[in-house]
Amino acid sequence: MTVQVEVGVGGIPHNKIMIYGLVGSLILVYLTYLNEITGTEYFAFFGGLACVAALIWGTDTIKILCSYGLGTGVPSAGMIALGSGTIAALFGATTGVFAPIVAVIIAAFIGAVCGLMANHVVRMDIPVMVVSLTELAVIGAITVLGLIAMVGGTFNFLDLVIGTTVILGFALQTFEASVIGGGIIAVIFMLSAIAIQHAFNACLGPGEKQDRTLMLAAECGFLTMIPVAIMSFAFVEFIPALISLLVSVIGWAYTYAKYIELSKRDAFAWLDAKPIIEPKGGA
Amino acid sequence: MSALGGPAKTAGVQPPTGMGLVISIVLIIIAFALAYFLLQIAGLLAVVGITVGGILIGFGVHFVPVGGAPAAMGQSPGIATGVPMLASGAGLAGLFAGAWAAPLGLPIALASGAIGGGLLMAITCTMVNIIYIFGMGIPAASGKVDKDPITGDTFPEYKTQGTEGHGLPFISWVGGVIGGALGGLGGTLIYLEFLDIYQAQMPALLSATGEQIAPIAISLAGVFAIGMFLVNAVLVAYNIGGTIEGPHDPKFKRAPRAIIASAVASAIAGVFAIGLLELVGVF
Repeated sequence: MTVQVEVGVGGIPHNKIMIYGLVGSLILVYLTYLNEITGTEYFAFFGGLACVAALIWGTDTIKILCSYGLGTGVPSAGMIALGSGTIAALFGATTGVFAPIVAVIIAAFIGAVCGLMANHVVRMDIPVMVVSLTELAVIGAITVLGLIAMVGGTFNFLDLVIGTTVILGFALQTFEASVIGGGIIAVIFMLSAIAIQHAFNACLGPGEKQDRTLMLAAECGFLTMIPVAIMSFAFVEFIPALISLLVSVIGWAYTYAKYIELSKRDAFAWLDAKPIIEPKGGA
Repeated sequence: MSALGGPAKTAGVQPPTGMGLVISIVLIIIAFALAYFLLQIAGLLAVVGITVGGILIGFGVHFVPVGGAPAAMGQSPGIATGVPMLASGAGLAGLFAGAWAAPLGLPIALASGAIGGGLLMAITCTMVNIIYIFGMGIPAASGKVDKDPITGDTFPEYKTQGTEGHGLPFISWVGGVIGGALGGLGGTLIYLEFLDIYQAQMPALLSATGEQIAPIAISLAGVFAIGMFLVNAVLVAYNIGGTIEGPHDPKFKRAPRAIIASAVASAIAGVFAIGLLELVGVF
């Protein structure tokens, strides 16, 4: 069973999106390092913005990969991206200031291995398979690393495993109350896996337009940032977490409004449906 | 197919390419050597265990009756969802069951994991058949074979014309339970190998007791096991290419390809996951 997947043509070329996505998200992840330099936590929200940039790039990659008709549905691409990306992101996190670069290199390696296996052993024989799975693993790694930096204020492994709880007014260092010990990585994993595949899965079909799909990807990214910002209240100071929450809510509201606008542009007709009004005294 | 072409659909099972096999062998040797270099014999044993876990997952998923979208309309046999979803469902249920029994020793934990995965698939398959038979009013009939290899029931009289069969025959039910058990076993094995490595290394690294570091070790091992499970499940999904009925399906002959791919992907991802703590404090 292979469902025909139709994609629109034209728009921004993929290579351009890839370069902007890779460079942009790496710079945004590195901006969270200002936290360590200045000794504050106000720059944590840049990690979430890195996630949004990576998701936009990832949606365009998934669009190219899935237009070949994998036969397994679009969500599988998001799962393999985050599966290989999470390992690379946490491996990178142990290398301190080099974390984003190391994570990208390791993710590219794991992704390339998966791509080679898919093409030469499983015999998918899809020309873009190796490149796409490499890109997706890198995207998964940057997404996880960015969201980790957003929730914990840092991407340094040792700071991520040690948390602080206040018991009877005394600050105690515990491992349970940390980003990794609290199991936050698992939440980030699934949030990003859903975010990365949803945009193209929702927009595919005849009349698919690149700007609309990518706007939905950005909307998914900001929507992912909202729960992560809420979780970050437990790990960073109140004001930085509030800044993260405000940035994500404002970004989400803007991209959602733009997405609805683009949907109205592309729709044949738009009917503002209202809920059916129940008659008084029951039907 | 789509406008961009797609994988060549030739008859029969295409064997892996020579290049694919050579790359696989080289990568597995590199992974084993790297593991020995990083953690000596403990690392080598862990990567071997992880590879075996990946092989069990890769092989087990082929047993699970996956129907995909046509099954939701009663037009093909199997459970009405994609391979990654079913595999991760069975694998995660097994992983939870196994992780719960982890303190009771390796054999009990592995058995518990297998029972957890098998139980989830048994419940799923039974409920799917109840919905098919009593809800949708369709009998169970396979489209790939004329006779159930276990019960000897014949199918052609019950098969609706224009469909590939429908419902969930007994052989598919048995296949689902075997697949769930193998998946749960593999997932639990990967989790336990990670847990052993982290519990051995972390106390010295963080100067804490084994009990204190338990949340971090469990969280890291769990999220890596989930990630590797999903990578393997997606590679198998690519191998199956949409739907499979169970062990009697001709597509089952493709299993060796997925076993090689899963082994290589698990070994490479596993060596990075176990080597992660070696880098802490180096940079």
